[in-house]
Amino acid sequence: MNTRAITDFASQFGVQITLNLDLMVEKTGRFYLVNPSLKPVVRESFFSAGVYLGKAKEGKFFPSFYLLGMLAKKEANRIFLDKKSAWLFICGRDIFRESIVRIQGPGKKDTNTLVFNEFGECLGFGRIVEKLRESVMSNEIVVRNVLDIGDFLRRER
Amino acid sequence: MSGKEFFLDRYERLGWKYQDVTLKQSIRVNNSNTNGKKLIQRLSDSGTHLQRIPFLESGYWVLNSKVSPGATAEYLLGMYSIQEAAAQIPASVFSHIKGRKVLDAAAAPGGKTVHLADLMENTGEIVALDVDKWRLNALCNHLERCRVSNTVVYLLDAQQASSLNLKFDRVLVDAPCSGNFAADRDWFKNRTLKDIERNAGLQRRILTEAVGCLNEEGEIVYSTCSLEPEEDELNIDWAIKNLNLQIEEIYCTGEKGVTNIFGKQLDPSIKNCKRLWPGETQGFFICKLKKRRLKS
Repeated sequence: MNTRAITDFASQFGVQITLNLDLMVEKTGRFYLVNPSLKPVVRESFFSAGVYLGKAKEGKFFPSFYLLGMLAKKEANRIFLDKKSAWLFICGRDIFRESIVRIQGPGKKDTNTLVFNEFGECLGFGRIVEKLRESVMSNEIVVRNVLDIGDFLRRER
Repeated sequence: MSGKEFFLDRYERLGWKYQDVTLKQSIRVNNSNTNGKKLIQRLSDSGTHLQRIPFLESGYWVLNSKVSPGATAEYLLGMYSIQEAAAQIPASVFSHIKGRKVLDAAAAPGGKTVHLADLMENTGEIVALDVDKWRLNALCNHLERCRVSNTVVYLLDAQQASSLNLKFDRVLVDAPCSGNFAADRDWFKNRTLKDIERNAGLQRRILTEAVGCLNEEGEIVYSTCSLEPEEDELNIDWAIKNLNLQIEEIYCTGEKGVTNIFGKQLDPSIKNCKRLWPGETQGFFICKLKKRRLKS
Protein backbone atom coordinates (compact mmCIF):
# COMPACT_ATOMS: atom_id res chain seq x y z
CA MET A 1 0.00 0.00 0.00
CA ASN A 2 1.34 3.41 -0.94
CA THR A 3 0.82 5.76 1.99
CA ARG A 4 3.07 8.47 0.62
CA ALA A 5 0.13 10.81 0.13
CA ILE A 6 -0.42 10.75 3.90
CA THR A 7 3.20 11.16 4.94
CA ASP A 8 3.71 13.93 2.36
CA PHE A 9 0.67 15.70 3.71
CA ALA A 10 2.02 15.48 7.28
CA SER A 11 5.36 16.91 6.16
CA GLN A 12 3.58 20.08 5.02
CA PHE A 13 2.97 20.75 8.72
CA GLY A 14 6.63 20.23 9.59
CA VAL A 15 6.14 16.76 11.11
CA GLN A 16 6.85 13.19 10.14
CA ILE A 17 4.45 10.37 10.88
CA THR A 18 5.06 6.66 10.70
CA LEU A 19 2.17 4.40 9.81
CA ASN A 20 2.05 0.71 10.66
CA LEU A 21 1.19 -0.77 7.28
CA ASP A 22 -0.05 -3.98 8.92
CA LEU A 23 -2.84 -1.95 10.47
CA MET A 24 -3.74 0.08 7.39
CA VAL A 25 -6.49 -0.84 4.98
CA GLU A 26 -7.34 0.93 1.76
CA LYS A 27 -10.38 0.98 -0.45
CA THR A 28 -10.86 3.06 -3.58
CA GLY A 29 -8.20 5.56 -2.54
CA ARG A 30 -9.53 5.88 1.00
CA PHE A 31 -7.15 5.01 3.80
CA TYR A 32 -8.14 3.59 7.18
CA LEU A 33 -6.20 2.75 10.31
CA VAL A 34 -7.50 -0.14 12.39
CA ASN A 35 -6.43 -1.40 15.78
CA PRO A 36 -5.10 -4.97 16.08
CA SER A 37 -8.32 -6.40 17.51
CA LEU A 38 -10.42 -4.81 14.78
CA LYS A 39 -8.38 -6.15 11.89
CA PRO A 40 -9.78 -9.73 12.04
CA VAL A 41 -13.33 -8.42 11.53
CA VAL A 42 -12.41 -6.43 8.42
CA ARG A 43 -13.59 -8.30 5.33
CA GLU A 44 -12.76 -7.32 1.77
CA SER A 45 -16.25 -5.90 1.32
CA PHE A 46 -15.94 -3.33 4.13
CA PHE A 47 -17.44 0.15 3.67
CA SER A 48 -15.32 1.83 6.33
CA ALA A 49 -13.03 0.46 9.04
CA GLY A 50 -11.49 1.88 12.18
CA VAL A 51 -10.48 5.47 11.70
CA TYR A 52 -10.63 7.14 8.32
CA LEU A 53 -7.39 8.98 7.54
CA GLY A 54 -8.29 10.55 4.23
CA LYS A 55 -8.53 9.95 0.52
CA ALA A 56 -6.14 10.34 -2.38
CA LYS A 57 -7.76 11.45 -5.60
CA GLU A 58 -6.21 12.71 -8.84
CA GLY A 59 -2.89 13.46 -7.17
CA LYS A 60 -4.45 15.36 -4.28
CA PHE A 61 -4.88 14.24 -0.69
CA PHE A 62 -7.97 15.07 1.34
CA PRO A 63 -7.31 14.45 5.05
CA SER A 64 -9.82 13.43 7.67
CA PHE A 65 -10.22 15.22 10.97
CA TYR A 66 -8.82 12.18 12.72
CA LEU A 67 -5.57 12.58 10.76
CA LEU A 68 -5.46 16.25 11.74
CA GLY A 69 -5.92 15.08 15.33
CA MET A 70 -2.91 12.77 14.92
CA LEU A 71 -0.83 15.70 13.66
CA ALA A 72 -2.09 17.84 16.53
CA LYS A 73 -0.56 15.35 18.97
CA LYS A 74 2.82 16.03 17.33
CA GLU A 75 4.72 19.27 17.02
CA ALA A 76 2.85 20.33 13.90
CA ASN A 77 2.62 24.01 12.97
CA ARG A 78 -0.38 25.58 14.64
CA ILE A 79 -2.09 28.83 15.31
CA PHE A 80 -4.61 29.71 18.00
CA LEU A 81 -7.54 31.98 17.23
CA ASP A 82 -9.67 34.25 19.36
CA LYS A 83 -13.26 33.19 20.00
CA LYS A 84 -14.95 35.17 17.22
CA SER A 85 -12.39 34.23 14.59
CA ALA A 86 -12.59 30.56 15.59
CA TRP A 87 -16.31 30.69 14.86
CA LEU A 88 -15.76 32.43 11.54
CA PHE A 89 -13.15 29.82 10.62
CA ILE A 90 -15.69 27.04 11.24
CA CYS A 91 -18.00 28.92 8.91
CA GLY A 92 -15.38 28.59 6.18
CA ARG A 93 -13.70 31.99 6.44
CA ASP A 94 -10.00 32.77 6.03
CA ILE A 95 -7.89 34.13 8.89
CA PHE A 96 -6.65 37.67 9.45
CA ARG A 97 -3.42 38.44 11.28
CA GLU A 98 -5.28 40.18 14.08
CA SER A 99 -7.32 37.01 14.81
CA ILE A 100 -4.28 34.98 15.79
CA VAL A 101 -3.49 35.00 19.49
CA ARG A 102 -0.60 32.55 19.39
CA ILE A 103 1.69 30.88 16.83
CA GLN A 104 3.54 27.62 17.31
CA GLY A 105 6.12 26.64 14.70
CA PRO A 106 7.96 28.73 12.10
CA GLY A 107 4.80 29.95 10.36
CA LYS A 108 6.53 29.99 6.99
CA LYS A 109 4.70 31.09 3.87
CA ASP A 110 3.35 28.30 1.61
CA THR A 111 3.21 25.70 4.36
CA ASN A 112 0.18 24.34 6.20
CA THR A 113 -0.89 25.09 9.73
CA LEU A 114 -3.40 23.49 12.05
CA VAL A 115 -5.96 25.90 13.42
CA PHE A 116 -6.97 25.75 17.09
CA ASN A 117 -9.55 27.54 19.20
CA GLU A 118 -9.05 29.11 22.62
CA PHE A 119 -9.61 25.69 24.27
CA GLY A 120 -6.78 24.08 22.31
CA GLU A 121 -9.15 22.07 20.08
CA CYS A 122 -8.22 21.52 16.46
CA LEU A 123 -10.81 23.07 14.14
CA GLY A 124 -9.13 22.30 10.84
CA PHE A 125 -6.19 23.53 8.83
CA GLY A 126 -5.19 26.26 6.45
CA ARG A 127 -2.49 27.36 4.04
CA ILE A 128 -0.17 30.13 5.21
CA VAL A 129 -0.20 32.80 2.51
CA GLU A 130 1.81 35.48 4.33
CA LYS A 131 4.67 34.97 6.79
CA LEU A 132 2.97 34.77 10.17
CA ARG A 133 5.80 36.16 12.21
CA GLU A 134 6.31 39.25 10.13
CA SER A 135 4.32 42.33 10.90
CA VAL A 136 1.74 42.80 8.22
CA MET A 137 -1.45 44.81 8.08
CA SER A 138 -3.84 43.48 10.74
CA ASN A 139 -6.68 43.21 8.23
CA GLU A 140 -4.65 41.15 5.76
CA ILE A 141 -5.50 37.49 5.22
CA VAL A 142 -2.55 35.39 6.38
CA VAL A 143 -4.06 31.88 6.39
CA ARG A 144 -6.45 30.54 3.78
CA ASN A 145 -9.05 28.11 5.11
CA VAL A 146 -8.58 24.68 3.51
CA LEU A 147 -10.66 22.46 5.80
CA ASP A 148 -12.69 23.15 8.93
CA ILE A 149 -15.08 21.13 11.08
CA GLY A 150 -18.05 22.99 9.58
CA ASP A 151 -17.48 20.56 6.72
CA PHE A 152 -19.52 17.99 8.68
CA LEU A 153 -22.56 20.18 8.07
CA ARG A 154 -21.72 21.13 4.50
CA ARG A 155 -21.09 17.57 3.32
CA GLU A 156 -24.60 16.44 4.34
CA ARG A 157 -26.43 19.14 2.41
CA MET B 1 -57.45 -1.02 8.38
CA SER B 2 -55.88 2.35 8.75
CA GLY B 3 -56.57 5.90 9.89
CA LYS B 4 -56.20 7.76 13.14
CA GLU B 5 -59.33 6.32 14.78
CA PHE B 6 -58.35 2.76 13.96
CA PHE B 7 -54.92 3.12 15.57
CA LEU B 8 -56.10 5.18 18.56
CA ASP B 9 -58.67 2.49 19.32
CA ARG B 10 -55.89 -0.10 19.31
CA TYR B 11 -53.77 1.97 21.69
CA GLU B 12 -56.71 2.35 24.04
CA ARG B 13 -57.22 -1.40 24.05
CA LEU B 14 -53.55 -1.74 24.97
CA GLY B 15 -54.08 0.58 27.92
CA TRP B 16 -53.09 4.04 26.68
CA LYS B 17 -55.26 7.04 25.97
CA TYR B 18 -54.08 9.27 23.15
CA GLN B 19 -52.56 12.64 23.93
CA ASP B 20 -50.90 14.99 21.53
CA VAL B 21 -47.16 15.19 22.06
CA THR B 22 -44.55 17.81 21.28
CA LEU B 23 -41.13 16.26 21.57
CA LYS B 24 -38.34 18.19 23.24
CA GLN B 25 -34.99 18.17 21.49
CA SER B 26 -32.42 16.17 23.39
CA ILE B 27 -28.70 15.55 23.25
CA ARG B 28 -26.41 12.83 24.57
CA VAL B 29 -22.96 13.68 25.90
CA ASN B 30 -20.18 11.65 24.30
CA ASN B 31 -18.18 10.96 27.45
CA SER B 32 -15.23 9.60 25.44
CA ASN B 33 -14.66 13.07 23.99
CA THR B 34 -15.50 15.45 26.80
CA ASN B 35 -16.30 15.97 30.43
CA GLY B 36 -20.08 16.30 30.75
CA LYS B 37 -20.05 18.96 33.46
CA LYS B 38 -17.61 21.18 31.58
CA LEU B 39 -19.58 20.76 28.36
CA ILE B 40 -22.85 21.80 29.99
CA GLN B 41 -21.15 24.92 31.40
CA ARG B 42 -19.54 25.72 28.07
CA LEU B 43 -22.82 25.39 26.20
CA SER B 44 -24.58 27.47 28.83
CA ASP B 45 -21.95 30.22 28.43
CA SER B 46 -22.72 30.35 24.73
CA GLY B 47 -26.49 30.43 25.22
CA THR B 48 -27.57 26.79 25.08
CA HIS B 49 -29.40 25.81 28.25
CA LEU B 50 -29.94 22.17 29.09
CA GLN B 51 -31.87 20.11 31.59
CA ARG B 52 -30.74 16.68 32.72
CA ILE B 53 -33.07 13.88 31.61
CA PRO B 54 -33.71 12.04 34.88
CA PHE B 55 -33.98 8.56 33.40
CA LEU B 56 -30.82 8.72 31.29
CA GLU B 57 -27.14 8.55 32.14
CA SER B 58 -25.86 11.22 29.75
CA GLY B 59 -28.98 12.73 28.22
CA TYR B 60 -30.14 16.37 28.37
CA TRP B 61 -33.15 18.20 27.04
CA VAL B 62 -32.42 21.41 25.19
CA LEU B 63 -34.48 24.08 26.96
CA ASN B 64 -33.43 26.95 24.73
CA SER B 65 -30.54 27.73 22.48
CA LYS B 66 -29.23 30.81 20.66
CA VAL B 67 -27.74 28.63 17.94
CA SER B 68 -28.92 25.33 16.53
CA PRO B 69 -27.53 22.51 18.72
CA GLY B 70 -26.51 20.82 15.49
CA ALA B 71 -24.21 23.66 14.48
CA THR B 72 -22.11 24.46 17.56
CA ALA B 73 -18.35 23.95 17.66
CA GLU B 74 -18.91 21.47 20.50
CA TYR B 75 -21.24 19.40 18.33
CA LEU B 76 -18.86 19.50 15.37
CA LEU B 77 -16.05 18.40 17.69
CA GLY B 78 -18.06 15.31 18.64
CA MET B 79 -18.65 16.25 22.25
CA TYR B 80 -22.32 15.41 22.00
CA SER B 81 -24.84 13.89 19.64
CA ILE B 82 -28.38 14.97 18.98
CA GLN B 83 -30.39 11.94 19.93
CA GLU B 84 -34.03 11.58 20.92
CA ALA B 85 -34.38 10.62 24.58
CA ALA B 86 -35.89 7.15 24.07
CA ALA B 87 -33.28 6.36 21.41
CA GLN B 88 -30.63 6.80 24.09
CA ILE B 89 -31.90 3.76 25.98
CA PRO B 90 -31.18 0.65 23.83
CA ALA B 91 -27.37 0.77 23.84
CA SER B 92 -27.34 1.31 27.60
CA VAL B 93 -29.36 -1.85 28.26
CA PHE B 94 -26.50 -4.24 27.44
CA SER B 95 -24.48 -5.55 30.37
CA HIS B 96 -20.66 -5.48 30.46
CA ILE B 97 -20.21 -4.13 26.97
CA LYS B 98 -16.61 -2.90 27.18
CA GLY B 99 -14.18 -4.97 25.14
CA ARG B 100 -16.96 -7.05 23.53
CA LYS B 101 -17.67 -7.89 19.93
CA VAL B 102 -20.90 -6.08 19.07
CA LEU B 103 -23.15 -6.20 16.01
CA ASP B 104 -25.28 -3.17 15.24
CA ALA B 105 -27.58 -4.86 12.76
CA ALA B 106 -29.42 -1.85 11.28
CA ALA B 107 -27.02 0.91 12.15
CA ALA B 108 -27.57 3.99 9.99
CA PRO B 109 -27.61 6.89 10.58
CA GLY B 110 -25.40 5.83 13.48
CA GLY B 111 -26.70 7.49 16.64
CA LYS B 112 -26.77 4.21 18.52
CA THR B 113 -23.49 3.00 16.98
CA VAL B 114 -21.74 6.07 18.38
CA HIS B 115 -23.49 5.52 21.72
CA LEU B 116 -22.25 1.91 21.78
CA ALA B 117 -18.69 3.06 21.01
CA ASP B 118 -18.92 5.65 23.76
CA LEU B 119 -20.10 3.08 26.31
CA MET B 120 -17.33 0.73 25.15
CA GLU B 121 -14.79 3.57 25.41
CA ASN B 122 -13.71 2.56 21.90
CA THR B 123 -12.58 -0.87 23.11
CA GLY B 124 -13.67 -4.16 21.53
CA GLU B 125 -15.19 -4.21 18.08
CA ILE B 126 -18.43 -2.98 16.58
CA VAL B 127 -19.65 -4.25 13.24
CA ALA B 128 -22.27 -1.87 11.85
CA LEU B 129 -24.54 -2.88 8.98
CA ASP B 130 -27.04 -1.10 6.82
CA VAL B 131 -28.56 -1.59 3.39
CA ASP B 132 -28.70 2.05 2.38
CA LYS B 133 -25.47 3.48 0.99
CA TRP B 134 -26.60 7.08 1.37
CA ARG B 135 -27.42 6.51 5.03
CA LEU B 136 -24.08 4.72 5.52
CA ASN B 137 -22.32 7.91 4.39
CA ALA B 138 -24.19 9.75 7.14
CA LEU B 139 -23.15 7.04 9.57
CA CYS B 140 -19.48 7.36 8.57
CA ASN B 141 -19.63 11.15 9.00
CA HIS B 142 -21.12 10.58 12.43
CA LEU B 143 -18.31 8.15 13.34
CA GLU B 144 -15.64 10.58 12.10
CA ARG B 145 -17.16 13.56 13.91
CA CYS B 146 -17.34 11.62 17.17
CA ARG B 147 -13.88 10.08 16.70
CA VAL B 148 -15.11 6.50 16.91
CA SER B 149 -12.24 4.09 16.28
CA ASN B 150 -13.59 0.61 17.02
CA THR B 151 -16.12 0.16 14.23
CA VAL B 152 -16.17 -1.60 10.87
CA VAL B 153 -19.04 -0.67 8.59
CA TYR B 154 -20.57 -2.87 5.90
CA LEU B 155 -23.13 -2.17 3.21
CA LEU B 156 -25.03 -5.32 4.06
CA ASP B 157 -28.61 -6.34 4.80
CA ALA B 158 -28.99 -7.45 8.42
CA GLN B 159 -30.78 -10.51 7.05
CA GLN B 160 -27.40 -11.58 5.64
CA ALA B 161 -25.26 -10.80 8.70
CA SER B 162 -24.10 -14.42 8.96
CA SER B 163 -22.28 -14.05 5.63
CA LEU B 164 -19.54 -12.24 7.59
CA ASN B 165 -18.78 -15.49 9.47
CA LEU B 166 -18.51 -13.73 12.80
CA LYS B 167 -20.02 -14.47 16.19
CA PHE B 168 -20.97 -11.62 18.48
CA ASP B 169 -21.24 -11.12 22.24
CA ARG B 170 -23.85 -8.41 21.89
CA VAL B 171 -26.29 -7.71 19.05
CA LEU B 172 -28.35 -4.57 18.76
CA VAL B 173 -31.42 -5.03 16.60
CA ASP B 174 -32.82 -1.53 16.42
CA ALA B 175 -35.16 -2.81 13.81
CA PRO B 176 -36.45 -0.92 10.78
CA CYS B 177 -40.01 -0.19 11.85
CA SER B 178 -43.21 1.75 11.15
CA GLY B 179 -42.26 4.60 13.49
CA ASN B 180 -44.86 6.45 15.52
CA PHE B 181 -47.03 9.53 15.35
CA ALA B 182 -44.98 11.51 17.90
CA ALA B 183 -42.00 11.61 15.54
CA ASP B 184 -44.00 11.87 12.31
CA ARG B 185 -46.92 14.29 12.01
CA ASP B 186 -48.36 12.44 9.01
CA TRP B 187 -48.02 9.03 10.56
CA PHE B 188 -51.74 8.23 10.79
CA LYS B 189 -52.28 9.23 7.17
CA ASN B 190 -49.46 7.11 5.83
CA ARG B 191 -49.69 3.81 7.68
CA THR B 192 -51.91 0.78 7.32
CA LEU B 193 -52.03 -2.46 9.26
CA LYS B 194 -50.67 -4.17 6.17
CA ASP B 195 -47.49 -2.02 6.29
CA ILE B 196 -47.08 -2.90 9.92
CA GLU B 197 -47.45 -6.63 9.30
CA ARG B 198 -44.90 -6.41 6.48
CA ASN B 199 -42.42 -4.69 8.80
CA ALA B 200 -43.10 -7.25 11.51
CA GLY B 201 -42.13 -9.99 9.07
CA LEU B 202 -38.87 -8.25 8.22
CA GLN B 203 -38.11 -7.79 11.91
CA ARG B 204 -38.62 -11.52 12.56
CA ARG B 205 -36.21 -12.37 9.77
CA ILE B 206 -33.60 -9.96 11.16
CA LEU B 207 -34.07 -11.38 14.66
CA THR B 208 -33.63 -14.91 13.32
CA GLU B 209 -30.36 -13.89 11.64
CA ALA B 210 -29.22 -12.09 14.80
CA VAL B 211 -29.68 -15.25 16.85
CA GLY B 212 -27.56 -17.15 14.33
CA CYS B 213 -24.71 -14.64 14.85
CA LEU B 214 -24.92 -14.65 18.65
CA ASN B 215 -22.48 -16.36 21.00
CA GLU B 216 -24.03 -18.82 23.45
CA GLU B 217 -23.85 -16.39 26.38
CA GLY B 218 -24.55 -13.33 24.24
CA GLU B 219 -27.28 -10.73 24.54
CA ILE B 220 -29.62 -9.25 21.94
CA VAL B 221 -31.28 -5.91 22.54
CA TYR B 222 -34.31 -5.53 20.31
CA SER B 223 -35.91 -2.12 19.94
CA THR B 224 -38.34 -0.30 17.70
CA CYS B 225 -39.86 3.15 17.71
CA SER B 226 -43.20 1.59 16.80
CA LEU B 227 -46.22 1.42 19.09
CA GLU B 228 -47.74 -1.43 17.14
CA PRO B 229 -47.78 -4.73 19.04
CA GLU B 230 -47.12 -6.74 15.86
CA GLU B 231 -43.64 -5.15 15.79
CA ASP B 232 -43.17 -5.32 19.54
CA GLU B 233 -44.70 -7.78 22.01
CA LEU B 234 -46.11 -10.14 19.35
CA ASN B 235 -42.73 -10.38 17.63
CA ILE B 236 -40.96 -11.08 20.90
CA ASP B 237 -43.57 -13.67 21.87
CA TRP B 238 -42.92 -15.31 18.52
CA ALA B 239 -39.13 -15.11 19.07
CA ILE B 240 -39.15 -16.79 22.47
CA LYS B 241 -41.36 -19.59 21.08
CA ASN B 242 -39.46 -20.10 17.83
CA LEU B 243 -35.86 -18.95 18.35
CA ASN B 244 -35.15 -20.53 21.74
CA LEU B 245 -34.76 -17.14 23.42
CA GLN B 246 -35.64 -15.88 26.85
CA ILE B 247 -36.35 -12.34 27.97
CA GLU B 248 -34.06 -10.73 30.51
CA GLU B 249 -35.30 -8.13 32.94
CA ILE B 250 -34.11 -4.60 32.14
CA TYR B 251 -34.01 -1.54 34.32
CA CYS B 252 -34.98 1.55 32.38
CA THR B 253 -37.87 3.94 32.12
CA GLY B 254 -41.12 2.70 30.56
CA GLU B 255 -44.13 0.55 31.26
CA LYS B 256 -44.21 -3.23 31.36
CA GLY B 257 -44.75 -5.01 28.05
CA VAL B 258 -48.38 -5.84 27.36
CA THR B 259 -49.07 -9.56 27.87
CA ASN B 260 -52.58 -9.64 26.43
CA ILE B 261 -52.81 -8.25 22.92
CA PHE B 262 -56.40 -7.83 21.71
CA GLY B 263 -57.43 -10.99 23.58
CA LYS B 264 -54.38 -13.07 22.71
CA GLN B 265 -52.50 -14.17 25.83
CA LEU B 266 -48.72 -13.97 25.41
CA ASP B 267 -45.90 -15.53 27.39
CA PRO B 268 -45.93 -13.93 30.87
CA SER B 269 -42.24 -12.99 30.59
CA ILE B 270 -43.26 -10.38 27.98
CA LYS B 271 -43.94 -8.12 30.96
CA ASN B 272 -40.14 -7.74 31.22
CA CYS B 273 -40.10 -5.81 27.97
CA LYS B 274 -40.45 -2.03 28.19
CA ARG B 275 -43.00 0.00 26.29
CA LEU B 276 -42.69 3.80 26.21
CA TRP B 277 -45.89 5.56 25.23
CA PRO B 278 -45.37 9.03 23.74
CA GLY B 279 -45.05 11.79 26.30
CA GLU B 280 -41.64 12.67 27.64
CA THR B 281 -40.21 10.71 24.74
CA GLN B 282 -41.42 9.39 21.42
CA GLY B 283 -43.03 5.96 21.38
CA PHE B 284 -40.55 3.13 21.88
CA PHE B 285 -40.22 -0.56 22.69
CA ILE B 286 -37.15 -2.28 24.13
CA CYS B 287 -36.29 -5.74 25.35
CA LYS B 288 -33.23 -7.80 26.08
CA LEU B 289 -32.99 -11.41 24.96
CA LYS B 290 -30.61 -14.27 25.62
CA LYS B 291 -30.42 -17.81 24.34
CA ARG B 292 -32.40 -20.12 26.60
CA ARG B 293 -30.18 -22.38 28.65
CA LEU B 294 -30.87 -26.09 28.27
CA LYS B 295 -31.98 -27.69 31.52
CA SER B 296 -29.63 -30.49 32.53
